[in-house]
This record gives sequence, structure tokens and C-alpha cells, in this order.
Amino acid sequence: MRFLLLLILPFLFTGLINKTKALVSGRKGASVFQPYFDFIKLLKKGIVISETTSFIFQIAPSINLACMILAGLLLCVFHFEGDFILFAYVLALGKFFTVIGAMDTGSSFEGMGASREVSYTSLVEPAFFIIISSICAIGHVYSFDSLFKILSFNHMTWVLIVILSVVALFLMILVEGSRTPVDDPTTHLELTMIHEVMVLDNSGVDLGFIFYANALKMLIFTTLIASILTPHSLWGYMVVLFIIAVLIGIIESITARLRLTHIIEYTFILITLALMVMALALLTMYETGAKGRKYDYFSNLPCATSPSFSVAKARRLPVAVHLLTSETDTTAKLGKAVFSSYAGVSSGGMI
Amino acid sequence: MKEAKQMMIIFFTSIILFVFSGLAQILFKEKYKAIIFTLFSGLATVLGLIPTTIALFQNKTFFNTVNFNGLIGNVDFVLDPLSAFFVLVILVISFLAIIYSRKYLEPYNKKLSAHYFFLGLFIPAMILVVTVQNILFFLICWEIMSLSSFFLLLFDSEKKEVRQTAINYLITMQIGVLFLFIGFILLNLNTGSLDFASFQGHISNTIFIFLLAGFGIKAGFVPFHTWLPKAHPIAPSHISAVMSGVMIKTGIYGILRMLTFIESPSLLLSYLVLFIGVASAFFGILYAITQRDYKRMLAYSSIENIGLITISLGFAMLGSSYHNHLMAGLGFLGVFAHILNHSIFKPLLFLSAGSVLSKTHTADSEHLGGLIKTMPYTASLFLIGSLAISALPPFNGFISEFFIYLAMLNGISTDNHFLFPILIISIGVLAFVGAMVLIAFTNMFSSIFLGKSRSEKALKTEQGSPISDSALGMLIPIGILAVFSLLIGLFPQYFMQIVINSVNTFLTTPLNFPTQILSNISMFNLALLITIGVILLVRKLLLKNKTVTIHKTWACGYDKPNSKMQYSNYSFSRPFLGFLTPFFIRELDFKGIKELFPKATHFKSKTIDIFEYYLIRPIINFDKFIIQKFYWVQSGNVQKYLLYGLIFLLLVIIWVVRK
Repeated sequence: MRFLLLLILPFLFTGLINKTKALVSGRKGASVFQPYFDFIKLLKKGIVISETTSFIFQIAPSINLACMILAGLLLCVFHFEGDFILFAYVLALGKFFTVIGAMDTGSSFEGMGASREVSYTSLVEPAFFIIISSICAIGHVYSFDSLFKILSFNHMTWVLIVILSVVALFLMILVEGSRTPVDDPTTHLELTMIHEVMVLDNSGVDLGFIFYANALKMLIFTTLIASILTPHSLWGYMVVLFIIAVLIGIIESITARLRLTHIIEYTFILITLALMVMALALLTMYETGAKGRKYDYFSNLPCATSPSFSVAKARRLPVAVHLLTSETDTTAKLGKAVFSSYAGVSSGGMI
Repeated sequence: MKEAKQMMIIFFTSIILFVFSGLAQILFKEKYKAIIFTLFSGLATVLGLIPTTIALFQNKTFFNTVNFNGLIGNVDFVLDPLSAFFVLVILVISFLAIIYSRKYLEPYNKKLSAHYFFLGLFIPAMILVVTVQNILFFLICWEIMSLSSFFLLLFDSEKKEVRQTAINYLITMQIGVLFLFIGFILLNLNTGSLDFASFQGHISNTIFIFLLAGFGIKAGFVPFHTWLPKAHPIAPSHISAVMSGVMIKTGIYGILRMLTFIESPSLLLSYLVLFIGVASAFFGILYAITQRDYKRMLAYSSIENIGLITISLGFAMLGSSYHNHLMAGLGFLGVFAHILNHSIFKPLLFLSAGSVLSKTHTADSEHLGGLIKTMPYTASLFLIGSLAISALPPFNGFISEFFIYLAMLNGISTDNHFLFPILIISIGVLAFVGAMVLIAFTNMFSSIFLGKSRSEKALKTEQGSPISDSALGMLIPIGILAVFSLLIGLFPQYFMQIVINSVNTFLTTPLNFPTQILSNISMFNLALLITIGVILLVRKLLLKNKTVTIHKTWACGYDKPNSKMQYSNYSFSRPFLGFLTPFFIRELDFKGIKELFPKATHFKSKTIDIFEYYLIRPIINFDKFIIQKFYWVQSGNVQKYLLYGLIFLLLVIIWVVRK
């Protein structure tokens, strides 16, 4: 069901963002369904192809779209152990083709966009893996569906993990979806953009596919957030989707794009957040370590772990960990650290 | 027993046939040499494959003792699943490279006897290295392998650069052997035997570290990697393919063979191996991004892949150290799967790079561009190789990286608070390395094949006619590799059975092979291909009866863009490398643009390997400094030399008399 919604809703998502932006700036704005009409119109048009290009340019948008659809499939329907690894690599396949499609035109502008895209998104994947595998570690699960099941809100550290993960994933939407403050989706002919300039030469059907794929990508990350927050309720999903779209719209209205040299610093926040999730996971593991059961995920047999070793470690560790723990204290400190690093970069990094 | 004997006879026949084919081609005319060599070595390959596949798939160990009276004594040759796996890879990849070499070497118009003779020594030497079980014989074969590859590197020996680099390669290999000597001598002192079989339980940490260094130099671990990026650009492409795809893995084989004699590796060693792996992967791919010479870039990428194999080995060792069997099993699965996959996609890339090189005569990607129009097949094959090496589904590279991630995830469930952050950070590094591979290969693919040509000269043959795609004789071997790459990616649950017996030699309880997960991946990959097909079909239907206009590339209103305004290899990687500057040194020679009417200026940049700069160069300088002090010994005066001889004799006599 979510997968069908995922395929239908992308343009509503972008429509909502645009509507919010319009309302914040005091305009009436286009209908939230406007992107659908644009898409249909683009599909009806012929295309213009550059004489420099080869078949790569023509197949790239379609392959990218296929990758996004299948990434959505992995997230919502098709689960197995290690599916999130495949998820990340399918997204990378899409990026690979978008980039070489842009390079195929031989234009200096598109080369610039492609180069920036791969540079600025290079830190998204590590952050994604660190976060997901940290959460996996606590629950000893290895797939999306069981991952969403084990997340709960009954414990302070858990709440913190969820908050940090959601913030990190939200920042990923902004980076991967090329939104402000990383990129400005409204400018078309500035030397400052990243994603938009990569598709400068695409037109007609291909451009439609690109718009669809890009919106889908944002929606996939949104769905990931929604699945963490409300894994079951469909209405909850819609609400989260709505909130995030509005949030992106508001952020885009009130902040300016970062200077290019600061974007890398911005993406480093992702790594910081991810490492914090890891630290929290370590804490949780320490707390529940004695009770935690480990399963061999192929045969559901308990894994053989060396008991002598863990006892020895447990004796050595307490001091260090207790210094860190005293629960509320850590929470406050970590929270502060997150916000100060975020605020620091976003205020210092503006033009 | 009888079967074992027959199999070993077939095996030795195959080896002798390789040497024979190297000798036989000398008798024939220049025109037929390649064909004769291909025929005989093809026969040898087929013969060699019989015992190998039986040992590998039926999980058998063929064993033969050859008696070299007095000289060495008994030497054991073993074809167990571990050796057989490596023999299989060596045979198949070498044979494809030999087929390729015929058309590739044609335009050089050179005498081929020496080249094929040494190729006929090189391949059996590699095979013997991975089968022989005796220190002395192992080192002899190891040396034959290094020496014959040295002569193979010297194909273009008129060029000074080639000779220098080959000598550099030889010296590096000798240093590696020195480490092996130390390790083996220490082992021999402990056991008093030259047989590998007697090593069980005698390999201490010190010995292992010496052997690790010795084998690591062959494999190209950071910081011993500096010979690789030098040797590959000068080697003929099929030799690069064999060296990078197969030969450097003999180093990994050595480490694996030594591991079979260790009950449970110590934590120190496991973390050391993991650390080396992470460093090799990171620095390998970082330097790959900085290169503009595509063969050098592929060499650096080999270092990165060796790093991935070593990371996986590190997990396997950590798994055994912490008694987490599943992690150990998956780690070894990752090691073998990645060796297999890398020996498919790296030769694929090297051979297609060779196809470009043989047509354009330049290895500098900044002078190429737009080749996809003149060489569409080579371009597509290179694209497949790039996708596979970037570990993207549906190609084979993804499968082995998936195993490495699985091993890591499984290691996390080991209840250990030190291992946990190490593993998570390794996951982060691995993912970052993945992103960097994507940058390196999108960059290289686009600057060679996409956009407009940057140099008119590269597009013309020596006679001045426009170039065309390479001959079928070159494209077919590459195509076979590409097909394997796709098939393994599409049906990993069947193809990964190749490595399962080799993996199990390291495990006390056989690995529970993750068939279910792999068939899920297989299904997903098929779905991916189908979806791509459907979307392309929809696109085609939508474009029916629509106007498709061909127009110039839109340059934001600028009317006369030329090929030099494209993003080049350098500019593409510039923003990314900007924030990794501490890890490499870049020397710029650029005066800048001054005054209102600037004069002509130039820009030159050179990337320096920090390991070469801070580690290798000081050692060489120190060496020079010491050796300078002894220059007087070699005066050129014959009387003086006679005096040395006399003194030496006197010393010997005194030593003998004293006893």
C-alpha cells in the first residue's frame, strides 16, 4: 500500500513544498497538483538532443527512474537480510547514470553540476550506513521491516536515537533532493546550482522522468522517516509526509543557499549525527548487553560468543561508561552538541 | 588414491605444456607465434582445468610428492580447494589475456619470441606458487614469477622510462622476498622442516608480521604499494590485466595459506590486518581519483580492491579471534568472492583500457573524450567494468561487497564494546570508499568516452584516417569477462558456490551458505533489469510520432563552446579532493592571470603519493648516503680487486683452521 502511495504521491510532495513557499512569501501560488500537470505535459512533448551526446544521454534518465522505483520497492515491500545495503547501492546506481548522462553533453555547466553532485553527496552514504547499522546492532536485526519494528519510545536513549536519526535523515533529504540550503531548485541559469544544472540539456519525456525520479527520491527518504516514526499507521504516514513537505517549504523560504565552500561542512553534520547515534547505540548495548540475546540470523541458533571475554571487558569498562552515562546528563549534552553544531554551521556558513 | 595420481599427472602435464608452448613458438615465423602459443596454452588451460574444477567442486584434495634426490628432498604439491580456486582464476584469466594479446601486439611489429617465452614461464610459475608446499621450492617459483613478470614488463624496452620502472619493480619484489626469507628462516628454526605441513601451530605473531610484509609487497598493501602504479602504465595491457587481476592475489594466497596453520589468530594480528585493509582501500581509491593516466588510475584502484579483500580478511580473522563463527565465515566468503570478482572486472577494465590505448596511443585521459562514438563496443565494455567495480547492482562487484557488509553486521552482534565502534567506523569508511569509487570511475569513464574529443590527434590513425573500434580478437575476451560479470551479479546463488569449498577449509563448522538472501538479490537484480527495460519501452512509445531535434549543447546562451571548455578529469575531481588535502600532496605550477591584458600562462599540477614522499624517498636517500661511503671499494683497479680476493681467502683459511 505504501509502495503505491510512494509511486503516486511524489508530485504532491513537491506541490506541497511549492505551495508552502508561495504562502510564506505572501503569494497565492499554484495548485498543489501543478507538478502533475507539468509532468503530463512534458510526457507529451518531443525532445531535443545535443549533437555531442551518445546513447548514454538517452538511457540515463530512464535508468535513474527505474533505480528510484526499485529503491522504493526495497523500502516498502521487498524485505530480506541486508536489504538496506542494496537500497543504498541502487540509489548509487541512479546517481552514476545521472552523472554520466550529464557528462555526455560535453557542456562545462553540466560537468560542473555533476562534479559537485558527487562531491557533496559522498558523505551521505557513510552517514546512512553508520546510522542504520548502529540501530541494527542494538536489535540484532538486518532488514528494514524488522528495523522499524524494534524502534520504540519507551526509553530515553531510544528516543534520542530516533530523534538524531530522523534529523540526520531529514538533512539527507535536503542534500540528496538538492534543496536549500545545499542547492537551490528554483534557479536554472546560475553557476551555483548542483542538480538543476546537471539536467540542463534534458527535455520532454526525459526531463519528466528526471523530475519524477528526483521527487521520488525525496519521498523515499521521507518514507524512511515516516516508517521510523509510525511504522504501521497509514494516516500517520500521510501526516509525517505533510509535515516534512511543509518544513522543507518553510526552510526554503527563510534560509539562503550556503556558499559552495561551506556545503561540505554542512554535510559533515551528517557524519557527526551518525557518530552520535553510534555512541548512543554503544551505550544502549552496554546497558542491555547482559540481557541481550544474539541470534544467528540464518538458522536462528544462538551465536557462539566467548563468554570469558565479555565478562573481562565488562569488568574493565564501567568507569569510562559511567562517566558518560548518568542518563539525563548525556541527553542534555548530546542535544546541545547537535544543535550548536547545526546552528553554528548554518549561521556561519550563510552568504 | 589412484584418481589423485591421475589428476596430478594431468596437472603437471598442463604446467609442462605451458612451458613447452613458450618454447615451441620460438621455432615459428613471427606471423604464427601468437597463434601457436594461444593453441598450446589453450590446450594446457583445458588440461589444467580438469583437476582444478574437480578439486574445487567436489571438495577433494589431490596430493603428490615429487622426490628431488638430495637437493631439496621431497616436495609436496597439493591441489586442495584453496589452491584450486586460485589455479582456476589464474588459468581462465591468463588464457583470456593470451587470446587478447594476439591482436593487441600486432601493431607493435616487434619480435614476440621473448615475450611469449616469458609468458610461458610466468603462468606456470604462478600456478606452482599456489600449489607447492615446500619453502625452498615456493621461493624458487616465487622468484621465477617475479623475474618472468619483470621481463614481460620490458616489452617496450627501448624507452628509458620503461627500463627504469621495470628495475624499480624488480627491486621492490626482491625486498618482498627478503621479508619472506626472514619469516621462513624463523619458521625453519622453529620447526626444522621445509614442509608447509609442519608449520601447524608454529607461526608466531612476529613471523606472521614478516610474512605479511613479504606477501603484502606483492599484493600491494599500503604503504608497500608504490610499485603498482608505476609498473602498470608501462606494461602491455594484457600483462597489466594478468598482473593486476591474478598475480597480486598470489600475495593474498600466501597470507591465506599461512592462516590455515594458525588455530585462532591473535587479536593484534586481526586488528592489524583490518587496519592495513582500511588504509589500502582509502588511500588506493583516493590516489585513483587524483590520476589522469587511466592505466595508473586502474592500478591504484587495484590497491583499493586489495584493501577491500584485506578488510574482509580482517573481519574473518576477528571473527575467529572472538569465536564468532558466522562473522568468520562471511568474512572468508567476502575474501574469496571479492578475489573472484576483482579478477573478472579488473582485467575487463585493463583490457578495454588497452583497446583504447592501442587506437589512440595516449594513456592521458585529458587528451581523450568522445570515444564512445568511434569505439562504442569498447566504451560499453568499459562502462560495464566501471559499474561492476563501483559495486553497483546488477553486476558482480556488489555481491562481494554485500558479503563484506554482512560479515561486519554480524560482527556487531558480538558482545564486545571495543569491536563495536571499530566495526561501525569500518562500515562508514567502506561506504565512503564506495562513494569515492563512484567518483573515480564516473570521472574516468566520462573523460575518456563522453563529451567532445579534446585532441584531434587521438582520433586519427598514423595514416591519418579516423580510428574505429578494436578488432573482434580483442573485444571477444573482454566480452566474455563482461558476460561473467553480469551473470554472477544476476545469479549469485549459483556462481558463489564456486568459492564455498575454499571458504570451508578455514572453518571448523561449514558455513551456512546464505542462499536465500542471494536468491532475493538475484530476483531484485532481474526486477531492476526488467524495470529499466519497461521504462525504456515506455519512453520509446511516448516518443513515437514526436519530433526529435538534434541541436548543439546548450551553453547558457554562449554560441561557440569548444572541447576545451568541457569539464576535464582534473576539474571534475577538484571540489571533492579539496577537502581531503591532508592525505595527498599536489604540486601546482601556475603563475596566475595578471594584468588587464594577460599574457599566455600555463598550469601544471602533479600529485605526489605521501607514502612515496615521506616513507620511500627518505629510505632511498639514506641508502644512497650509506652506499656513497663505500664508493672507494669499487675503484676499478684490478690489483685492488685481487687484494680483496686474497684477504677473503685468508679469512676463509683462518676460519677453517680454527675449527
